[in-house]
Amino acid sequence: MSDQKPLELILARNLLSSISTPAFLVGQEGALLFYNEAAGALVGRRFEETGTMTAQEWTAAFGPFDDNEQPIPYDENKLTKSLREGRPAHGNFRICVAGNVHQDIAASAIPIVGPDGSSGAIVIFWPLPEDEETKAAAGVTEQSEVL
Amino acid sequence: MRIKIWGARGSVPAPGPETMHYGGNTSCVEVTLSDGSTLILDAGTGIRNLGLALPRVERPIHILLTHLHLDHIQGLMFFAPLFRPESEIIVWGPASPEASLRERVGRYISAPLAPVEVRELPSHVSFKEAEPLEWDLGPARIRAQSVNHRGPTLGYRIDDGDTTLCYIPDHEPGLGAPLSQLEDDWISGFGLARGASTLIHDCQYTDAEYPNHLGWGHSPIADALEFGQRVEAEKLVLFHHDPLHSDDFLDGLCGDIHARWQELGRDPGQVELATERRELEISPQAAPVGA
Ligand SMILES: [Zn+2]
Ligand SMILES: [Zn+2]
Repeated sequence: MSDQKPLELILARNLLSSISTPAFLVGQEGALLFYNEAAGALVGRRFEETGTMTAQEWTAAFGPFDDNEQPIPYDENKLTKSLREGRPAHGNFRICVAGNVHQDIAASAIPIVGPDGSSGAIVIFWPLPEDEETKAAAGVTEQSEVL
Repeated sequence: MRIKIWGARGSVPAPGPETMHYGGNTSCVEVTLSDGSTLILDAGTGIRNLGLALPRVERPIHILLTHLHLDHIQGLMFFAPLFRPESEIIVWGPASPEASLRERVGRYISAPLAPVEVRELPSHVSFKEAEPLEWDLGPARIRAQSVNHRGPTLGYRIDDGDTTLCYIPDHEPGLGAPLSQLEDDWISGFGLARGASTLIHDCQYTDAEYPNHLGWGHSPIADALEFGQRVEAEKLVLFHHDPLHSDDFLDGLCGDIHARWQELGRDPGQVELATERRELEISPQAAPVGA
């Protein structure tokens, strides 16, 4: 029998589709289950084009990237480590926007915990504050902190 | 499996001459399983009449609550078997991180809202949190699943032999995005209701009323019909009538509902508005889904 996603993921997707801040909905194994129109505009591809992507697929396409412009594997991403421990996290990252340009951005990740345990996370993207943009330009591309 | 509807009204009882046909009692459905045993879905005010009609039997009585809004528990305190020392009653309902099911139901069956406390009831009453369980009751397999409403709310699927009843009386699956734009597995309640022989589903609002009630946790006709069609329910019973909807008003919707169900490729004889005291035999799907 074809089943459905946990209700908290369905509601999270509904929320993301209703807000104008770019956001990803990531499942338990890191699959990109959904991203909203604002995130589509940011990365240069609409969700309707890409559909669900595995962790490897979306990190290769969208980042984040290290100082050598190489994609950081999902398992090594500092946000991933925090989320696996059930904690929120925030950090600055270099991602691929508009299909080909690398840009520094801040990301906040919040775990989604339902009655059956963790089912994923919401990742929301923010422009860097101006002072951090300066630091980023000076080569400080990834700062992560646990909230 | 057979069902009898003892209350189909939503939100608050709506007795009066203008609701005599569809009935004014709130949610309660009696389910008779293939071995003759009884399950009760929700304990709205309809359960009072059911309690009076139930024969005295030695079997435990299982009451499956979808959630604890008053229109789904108000009749519990007036359910005659609760006051018989020989009764064994098991109340199933949604878990909440905030307090146990017993404690939450006890907020209603306690002072100052009630003259008795749960511990004073002469029958043997126990409470079981249904989620995320799947369990057997007699010949039936019961599955509970969280659905989109306000607060922790379950829908139930009851499989007995080759028949399936699905009961989702309070449900807003189209909140946030039109159902037509969602893949099946992103629709609240989809897995629970898929391929049901009979689906009893929320249909509180007309399509014109819905925009003023977005997010209230209930469905407009369009979503109830589309949900029923997407899950390929053989028969659809539209439930939880708005207290403002008189018999004349509901009768006036019937023609449109049948026509729209047919437009969705379904048999227009297999959709109806839930009516108090209506009895239905649950028949297996003519052709199993996916076959
Ligand atoms: Zn209700
Ligand atoms: Zn309700």
